Amino acid sequence: MIRNTLALLTLLVLLAGCASQARYIDPAADDGPVTMTLDYRDFERAATEAVEDMLASGAVDKPGGGRYIMAISRMTNDTMQRIDTDQLVKKIRVSMLRSGKVITTTAVGLDGAEDEMSQRARELRESAEFDQSTVQQTGTLKAPELSLSGKILQRNHRAGKEQQVEYFFQLSLTDLREGLAIWEGETPIIKRGPNSSVSW
Amino acid sequence: MMPIRSVRIVILLILGLGLAACAQTPVSESPQEREKLLVDPEVQYSMEVTELIEKQLEQTDGGSLLHIQFAVKATSRAQMAWKVTWFDAQGQTVKGVGESYRNVSVLPGQTRYFSATAPHTDVVSYQIHLREPG
Repeated sequence: MIRNTLALLTLLVLLAGCASQARYIDPAADDGPVTMTLDYRDFERAATEAVEDMLASGAVDKPGGGRYIMAISRMTNDTMQRIDTDQLVKKIRVSMLRSGKVITTTAVGLDGAEDEMSQRARELRESAEFDQSTVQQTGTLKAPELSLSGKILQRNHRAGKEQQVEYFFQLSLTDLREGLAIWEGETPIIKRGPNSSVSW
Repeated sequence: MMPIRSVRIVILLILGLGLAACAQTPVSESPQEREKLLVDPEVQYSMEVTELIEKQLEQTDGGSLLHIQFAVKATSRAQMAWKVTWFDAQGQTVKGVGESYRNVSVLPGQTRYFSATAPHTDVVSYQIHLREPG
């Protein structure tokens, strides 16, 4: 009886030792397996290609220097996954801001301002409770000159005994003065894996 | 029996060596000379870098963006991962969009060209690292 209990305990300890432990992953040195769904590496690749191409094309090099003001327009998720498109857009915004070429307005958006505080802060103009010299003046908000829009597409195919999932990151940068797309880019990300892998 | 004078010299020497060991390694004040291209031996086995060119993209504000391109020719079907690290004039790294390696495949006999654009006009140098993907 005691021998059996000891054997069972030893087995349990061994099994516990083999169990995968939660651990941190360093994005700069991640050799982890590829997933059929979109993961952070895919968003990073799409954003890197878009930003580098935008910078190299000269589309965001403002004549006379200075920064363009960009608004974020519609970013459609046409995949079978629930994706927050900000995973892509934020990376682009951050990199463009760091480049010194583009700054994003949070006061204008398709579904209202991203940060409503720009408007709310102006509602204090009538309030006697606030020192009016500290309230934002009229005509100080900056209107956007560029608009970033795009779509993420997904197409699934059977390739023999495998499944092929194609993702396309499509982006357009529009000059709002003329309504012309001054830069466009598409990054395909193709994955092939066993049929058992689920991509939605 | 050692004379007292010799003992003192030995003690002073030991003390000197001990203090030297505790001293901090001097920090270089100028940017280190870096190789522009680092290729891991595992990658060199199946492919070679045939060219590495750079150009400056002139900007309207007077600055310029560094643009690089390198070519890889494979002798057999090969996979590799590559990444560029950017540096400013002081040798400090300049953040790009992401930190991940970019995985690519090269067919036998194929030459592929890869390029990257610096994230800021402050960038003056770079280092490309080619490695075997995980």
